[in-house]
Amino acid sequence: MFPLILAVVAKGDGELMIRLQRRDPQALAELYDRYGQMVFRLILRMVRDNGAAEDLVQETFLRVWNRVGGFDSDRGAVGPWLLAVARNRAIDYLRSKGHRTESTIDLNETEHPALFADLPTDVFHFDLVRQVKRALEQLDSQAREAIELAYFEGMSQSEIAARMGQPLGTVKTWMRRALQQMRKALGGAITA
Amino acid sequence: MTCDELRPDYLLYALGVLEEPERSEVRAHLERGCEACAAGLGEARALAFAMGASGDGPAPPRQLRGRILAAAGGVPQRRWSWFTALVAAGSTALAAAGLILYQAHNFRAELAEARIEIERSGAEAADLRQALDLIQAPETREVTFGQDQPAPPRGRVFFHPSGVLLVASRLPAPPPGKTYEMWLIRGGKPVPAGLFTSNRQGNAIYLYRPPTPPAATDVVAVTLEAEGGVDAPTSTPVISAPL
Repeated sequence: MFPLILAVVAKGDGELMIRLQRRDPQALAELYDRYGQMVFRLILRMVRDNGAAEDLVQETFLRVWNRVGGFDSDRGAVGPWLLAVARNRAIDYLRSKGHRTESTIDLNETEHPALFADLPTDVFHFDLVRQVKRALEQLDSQAREAIELAYFEGMSQSEIAARMGQPLGTVKTWMRRALQQMRKALGGAITA
Repeated sequence: MTCDELRPDYLLYALGVLEEPERSEVRAHLERGCEACAAGLGEARALAFAMGASGDGPAPPRQLRGRILAAAGGVPQRRWSWFTALVAAGSTALAAAGLILYQAHNFRAELAEARIEIERSGAEAADLRQALDLIQAPETREVTFGQDQPAPPRGRVFFHPSGVLLVASRLPAPPPGKTYEMWLIRGGKPVPAGLFTSNRQGNAIYLYRPPTPPAATDVVAVTLEAEGGVDAPTSTPVISAPL
């Protein structure tokens, strides 16, 4: 039988999550097969260390495995949840490694499974990923750097301002403008 | 602050990096059930997902999958350092017992892996059933390609209002860093329809199911493109199937 390759990654995620909630280890294997590469690439980009990335990918999947009970398999979007968990693990690692001051914002607040219910259905369309990548590339270099520091290093605007040697107000203005520009570039690509 | 004023802050809030006072403003809107802010945050989380998924890079090492499953208790982990040391220092009888235990342990691990493979085959069978449903649907149009060409690939395209199925043979596996990209061409304008690859035997089955029904299409085409795909074809189609 030929392997069948589907464009929509999220197909069947609801059923998969129900099996995960029943503690079916094979469901974890399937979850890894669907999202493992995506999670590994994100974490490796953030921490730039293969060994650390592997450990953090493992932490990510085990965290999801242990917290899947709070996930709404009918309404939840597992891909966005998984990437949020992965990003937070990588940011925790960067913060601990760089001795950065702990942010006043608790990252755990951003990865509660309930936050990933009823996301826009277009989120899984592969075109969206490409459009977002292109919209980021079209930003001017300072605005893009600020957005990337926020996403890939989990920096607050104050931390970004300090890193870039710019006044906080300037950084806020860049980021607000950049996000408006991205929304405009994406048009109706993301619709709730 | 109004929802419009807060709109550019949704992504930063979703990422957990928005500072005061904007953070409390967004939270206050959400706590009083502001639908515009809730919807905006949903969009922001989708945008964050797309940002995170947009990266390129190497694939994870093969052993990582087994390591995660073992840590979750799905597949026993092969840790024998203490046992090996004991056997090296111990008696013949203990060594023999160790060998039996080791074989039994390996057998259990292989059995667990085999179960996973069976599950995966089951998922592929479900995918194939979807493809068969599309082929058998009365609205599906079927065209062949490559029959009149001197060289392969050859195959069939099944076009249905809910999706497009492509079945190809003798389509060489793409070289490293490359992938196949399907296009739905209407009035000379190509619309990207997903990425796929062929297996080592040169066979490919690819089902494209867009979130919205594909517009009327004149031609289904496939080009070889850089990994990650492109917005418009950059090479001559290797498959072209007029509908």
